[in-house]
Amino acid sequence: MERSAVFVIPFMAGFVFALTVLAVRYLWWLRGLRKQAPGKLPAVLFSHKTLSAINEIFNEAILHRRILKRNRRMGFMHMSLAVGWGMMILGGKFETWFHTGRFFHDTWYAVFFRYFEPQVVGGLAGAFWLHYMDLGLLVVLSGVTLAVIKRIKKKVLGIKNTTRHSRVNRLALTFLWLVFPLRLLAEAVTFGQYGGGGFLTGTLGKLCFTSPMCAVVELPLWWAYSLVLGAFFVVLPFSRYLHIPTEMVLILLRHWGLRASTELKPEEGLQAFEVHACSACGMCLDVCPAIGQQPFQAAYFMQAIRSGKGWEKMATDCLSCGACENACPVNIGIENMRVAARGKVHQDYMAKHDYLPTLSTRERRSANILLFTGCMGRLKPGITEAVKQLLEEAGLSWVHLDEKDSICCGRPMALAGRTDQAATMRAANEALIGSYRAGMLVTTCPICLNQFRNEYKLNIPVVHHSELLWQLMSEGRIKTETGLECFSYHDPCELGRKGGHYNEPRELLSACGNLLPVDREKSESLCCGNTPGSLSLSLKDRQNITAATLKVLEAPHPDKIVTACPLCQHNLSRQSKVPVKDIAEVLAGVLISTSTQAHYTHEAETIEA
Amino acid sequence: MSRPDFGFSWSGARALDPSQPLSSEVQKVLDGEPGLLDCISCGQCAAVCTAGAYTSMSFYRVVLHLLRGETKEASMMSHGCMLCGKCRMTCPRGVNIHNAVMLISALMHTKA
Repeated sequence: MERSAVFVIPFMAGFVFALTVLAVRYLWWLRGLRKQAPGKLPAVLFSHKTLSAINEIFNEAILHRRILKRNRRMGFMHMSLAVGWGMMILGGKFETWFHTGRFFHDTWYAVFFRYFEPQVVGGLAGAFWLHYMDLGLLVVLSGVTLAVIKRIKKKVLGIKNTTRHSRVNRLALTFLWLVFPLRLLAEAVTFGQYGGGGFLTGTLGKLCFTSPMCAVVELPLWWAYSLVLGAFFVVLPFSRYLHIPTEMVLILLRHWGLRASTELKPEEGLQAFEVHACSACGMCLDVCPAIGQQPFQAAYFMQAIRSGKGWEKMATDCLSCGACENACPVNIGIENMRVAARGKVHQDYMAKHDYLPTLSTRERRSANILLFTGCMGRLKPGITEAVKQLLEEAGLSWVHLDEKDSICCGRPMALAGRTDQAATMRAANEALIGSYRAGMLVTTCPICLNQFRNEYKLNIPVVHHSELLWQLMSEGRIKTETGLECFSYHDPCELGRKGGHYNEPRELLSACGNLLPVDREKSESLCCGNTPGSLSLSLKDRQNITAATLKVLEAPHPDKIVTACPLCQHNLSRQSKVPVKDIAEVLAGVLISTSTQAHYTHEAETIEA
Repeated sequence: MSRPDFGFSWSGARALDPSQPLSSEVQKVLDGEPGLLDCISCGQCAAVCTAGAYTSMSFYRVVLHLLRGETKEASMMSHGCMLCGKCRMTCPRGVNIHNAVMLISALMHTKA
């Protein structure tokens, strides 16, 4: 039957508008891409990389597996919206194909199919599509219901914080919430009047809308559905819902080998896609050690970057612990972006390190281990002494590289966004390390560890002292007495989330006493309140973060709080009621000394001409 | 009238005059790091300074230079900083020295 199709105009106008804006924005972001990867792109388009990208798009953009793993209820909310809507879009296509025998139709035909063909019959297959579409609608509606509940009572969804949205996002949210209930009502009225329908729309129609009076509201309801859908499409490219298409493109581009710029360019290249793929889902909020105290969580930082207002302070205040990046379901390179933003804030910053000694490689001395304790080690000599005692016990020879003069590794400069300014420091340290012949470089500072591993060109492995000590202990070269002391362990962000070492310190502590579980540990651990990353956060604010972390660490009533970073140790011990020790100090305290075997290999460094 | 040459010289008076308004660039640094006004010149920062082992860098003197309006001296001195952050860890007044050094170093850069 032929019915007037004027009401589809708002939807079509909105849809075409959204497509146009998207195309323009994406092309603008991709400008200069050919300069980056000349000739490479066509080859990579038809490779297995595209297939693995499609796999990831299905898992993340549709199923939302990363959110599901973190929080099932939140995951279900996101999944039901995406899966249900996806089912309806896909089903609409097949349904119209099935009923008309033609594959191609105007875009609006499938969206408003029930209005034009309320009385389709097609035997069992026809009934299948009716129920299938209703199932899709039901799935979406369950997601919308959860989203509404989340706004009213967050706890029900197992979260403590949810993102505060800007005005345009609240508007878009309202449209999105209205779309699906309106579709349900419009279809129900149509089926109420004409009979038929699936288990949801048909039943609702039969129960509520069979009266001829309801015929009056049928067309207005379809109009409302079309208007709201159109309005949603109009605001989509300017709201957080831009993440829906952008995340998919981002995954593709990532698999094709594009990398984000180290400079802040929120409207160019992969970084533009990252900035706009943030859905402000809020998974980064609860994990942030400064939540409730500071407003710089990743979702808000991205919001600020998009609007171009207020991002500077958010970038320089944040302590760069990496908890948000770890929790981000879109895997946005938040840390990289913050560092880039800091670089932009301090683009005029200039350092001059030409005074640093240039080391000529006159002699290549040998030792088992090169010990680099870094700036923090200088401030915490107790940790260095403990490590030396343990190395001695294991019968290893070492050279303490920065015993007298220390040169910073360059990581603080990198975290401040100016890696380029640290070149002289890196060169001086590289020359120093290169002037020895050794099996490995051991550092007691996880900040140095990451810098040596990622930015230096060294031909020996770089290990943290906790790694080495665990290796020595498992080889039986150092033995400890397992006491009755109870420890809670604080994962330093640079060692844990950024270095990937969660187990070695735990194994060591279990060999010394009782390791107590704490609420937030491993990849979820909190922040000690002082990293070189935070430039502008005031002492008082940092102390509040430390206090919140200590509350969690002190909760199981440990005898000692243990950590593996001199910076964390220093900062936590300033405010802690419980003694805070480095893992090496704890180990040295319960060491069973085999003094008969001990020998001073330290002195026995061979000097080669 | 030329000064008689006694074979030595002395510096002019460098006392701070609180009635004089701070120059705009100094004010900008203070806005960026308000904690600088908390500095009591105790010298902890200089005692632990990594760059101080090689240069004349000492942060409390950078602050004094800055507050006197001697931005060039302040800026030149802070160029040697390696941003290691020991000074910030030990500062009894909680001055965010990291941030201050970056802002003060940039003064000379923008002038040049």
